[in-house]
Amino acid sequence: MGRVLIRRLLQAVVIIYLVATVVFILIHLAPGDPFVYLDNPNVTVEVRAQRSAALGLDRPLPEQYVRYIGRLATGNLGESIFLNRPVATVMREALPNTILLMGTAIILSFGIGVAIGMVQIARRGSHVERALTTGSLFFYSMPDFWLALIVLLVFAYWIPIFPVGGVVDPVMHAYLTPVGRILDRLWHLVLPTVTLTALTAAGIARYQRSALLDVVREDFVRTARAKGATERTVMTRHALRNAVLPVITLLGLSFPALLGGAVFVEKVYSWPGMGLVAVNALATRDYPLVLGCAITGATMVSLGNVLADLLYAVADPRLRNDS
Amino acid sequence: MYADDAMTRSVVDQLFGRLADMGAELNTVGDRGFMPRLADRWEWATDSLSIAFHIDPGARWHDGRPVTARDVAFTYSLYTDPKVGSSVGPLLRSIDSVTARDSATAVVWYKQRSPEQFFDAAFQLIIMPEHLFSSADRASLRTHELATQPVGNGRFRFVRWDKGSTIEIVADTANYRGRPKLDRVIWTIAPDFTAGVTRLLAGEADFYEFLRADNIIEVGKNPSLKTIPYPSLQYGFLTFNLKEAKNRKRPHAIFADREVRRALAMAVDRQKLVESVFGKLALPAIGPVSRALSTADTTLQQIPYDVEGSKRILDSLGWKDTNGDGIREKGRRVLEFGMLVPSSSRSRAQFAVLLQEAFRQVGAKVNVDLLEFTTVGARLKARDFETTLGVWQTDPSPGGVRQTWGIEGSRASDGSNLGSYESRAFDALVDTALTQMDVVKERAYFRRAYQMIIDDAPAIFLYEPRQTAGAHKRIMPANMRADSWWANLADWSIPADQRIDRDRIGLRAPAAP
Repeated sequence: MGRVLIRRLLQAVVIIYLVATVVFILIHLAPGDPFVYLDNPNVTVEVRAQRSAALGLDRPLPEQYVRYIGRLATGNLGESIFLNRPVATVMREALPNTILLMGTAIILSFGIGVAIGMVQIARRGSHVERALTTGSLFFYSMPDFWLALIVLLVFAYWIPIFPVGGVVDPVMHAYLTPVGRILDRLWHLVLPTVTLTALTAAGIARYQRSALLDVVREDFVRTARAKGATERTVMTRHALRNAVLPVITLLGLSFPALLGGAVFVEKVYSWPGMGLVAVNALATRDYPLVLGCAITGATMVSLGNVLADLLYAVADPRLRNDS
Repeated sequence: MYADDAMTRSVVDQLFGRLADMGAELNTVGDRGFMPRLADRWEWATDSLSIAFHIDPGARWHDGRPVTARDVAFTYSLYTDPKVGSSVGPLLRSIDSVTARDSATAVVWYKQRSPEQFFDAAFQLIIMPEHLFSSADRASLRTHELATQPVGNGRFRFVRWDKGSTIEIVADTANYRGRPKLDRVIWTIAPDFTAGVTRLLAGEADFYEFLRADNIIEVGKNPSLKTIPYPSLQYGFLTFNLKEAKNRKRPHAIFADREVRRALAMAVDRQKLVESVFGKLALPAIGPVSRALSTADTTLQQIPYDVEGSKRILDSLGWKDTNGDGIREKGRRVLEFGMLVPSSSRSRAQFAVLLQEAFRQVGAKVNVDLLEFTTVGARLKARDFETTLGVWQTDPSPGGVRQTWGIEGSRASDGSNLGSYESRAFDALVDTALTQMDVVKERAYFRRAYQMIIDDAPAIFLYEPRQTAGAHKRIMPANMRADSWWANLADWSIPADQRIDRDRIGLRAPAAP
């Protein structure tokens, strides 16, 4: 198992290097430069040239690339041009927000998605199954930014029971008690989490339903029933354990999708996470920050897949023994 | 020093003071209308080649140290140091040096007399604390600790900056200019326009500085909100590129001809277009100048809206529809051109469609390129466009017109004269205006310059937005200036009987995280 893990981690390093290289090339090929946003008639050619030289942007592109990769190898992500701060610091501030949002959404969406899939199989042919199938298809087919906007409009504006955005109340949070601060943070987490969860859980439910449908026809399930096990035991101890493997695969695959979804959701809910940082960095052509976001995203996706592999081994003893 | 955008300036101006501030008239010639700030008085030398600013003895930095003349001299050295790379540095060209005669008297020495010499020193310099910055590496001031924990001398003190989220300032109760009427002001950063408006509508924000027409209706329906119109220094325009995008040495086949430009301008009913896009939130522009600027003149003669006249002129210039497809040709050149528009601006996208139709009526075909902001910026920088819809937010100094429409701005690789309009007569009029010590003469020269550019039509000056802010009804703003709505923020107030929870935090510091 340890060897597999090390191999996976080495693969992740290669992937991150490739991502950094491709993104470096693409962002420099994109029209515009980091100074477009700073343009005003007072920024002279000299001032611009001085800033450009200070950032090393006056060097030939291959030299910039070599310098960047060299710095990256030592763990230095460089300085954000627009924010005037180390990229690592920006990532350190944004990443916990995204992990909080994504982590909560992943846990909830897998819990809810698997549960819905099980109920659908347990109540096959009933109104409940049809309602859940229709509901999950509805959310599965919904564009993420649209759902985010609708949820925001309904629950923050028409029926204003939740805040419109941010991680915390920008005015009152600093003046609340410790318990009040936790509640404030949870209160702000509700709408973005519900949006991301609804979108992801719908897909997982459909996947889980399909996997369970195959498993419940297997002989071992029939045997379990013949032994007199209750339907609940049959489903949870026998069918689910076997049907959950493809869902774990989906967990690994859902990291990039969740990161992508988080970009829209963070934008709509003003959630200062990686997605929002990435969108702003792209718009302002903040090269080091764009690369920092891409590298952090690639790292998260790679680690997500390693996690999925580990969960596979936990769920399936055969894989554990093979390793 | 690095406050390149309005958001940053709105915060910096609360924390730091200038030697003197402009009055509501925004006069930049001489010292008429200027109000004492860090300098409680000033004296001109008899030859006007120096001005002695006397620092208010009560002025203190927020760490308790007195503001001195050495801070003024140090600030000038910072602004003009190429290592620092301040965008304000080039605006201080008229100043030769700044010295400290004694701890309370800073003397600004000028290379020559100029009408805006007082403005340059008093308004452009935001005074920085020498005792905190003197040992700092000037090349990395942007990332200096004090850039995120500023110690100022303004009527508000810095409290905290949660990156990407909030900036908080609190009243400096012992300030030499008096305690602000507000205890605390917090800027919250929204990722986009809609998110910002939504916060206002949902009651999470008390003030939003800019509303669009549809937001104003929404705000009007909300019983706890109000709208506050205020002047601006913006104007929007359609620029013609007078040079070929592919070969800048060659004049543009269509737009190099002044009469074609005028004919196209005649096809545009600016009044109707402005009403269609903005309703009552904008006026047709009067030229390359906002009505709020001290040199504005509303009697300038505009190119009249006359579709038939436009067609006649184009006919007479040889642009005719010979093949009956509705588009004019001259030789092998078709009267067809591109219009570069940033997709981030809804109003400009709307203008593009309306202009497309207006030009179609006189036989010109427009291909609209709606592109993301940064891409548009790159194309403009490379002068890779035929026409573009632009907006200038001008400086209070009318001299800014030289950078945006003068020859220097055309020829500099990064100049702001995007369409490459070059008129020695226009430049001469602006230069002459800028050397007039007499305001009446200055305005007369600017009037002639403005009239010349309108007549030459290197651009169609389309609209001048009337800014409208949205605010909670309990917020009582003081005079909102065209160049900076925030200029008198310390005098805004909230009546005691209308305060809500967040107004009652008082001056206490936030709890530790």
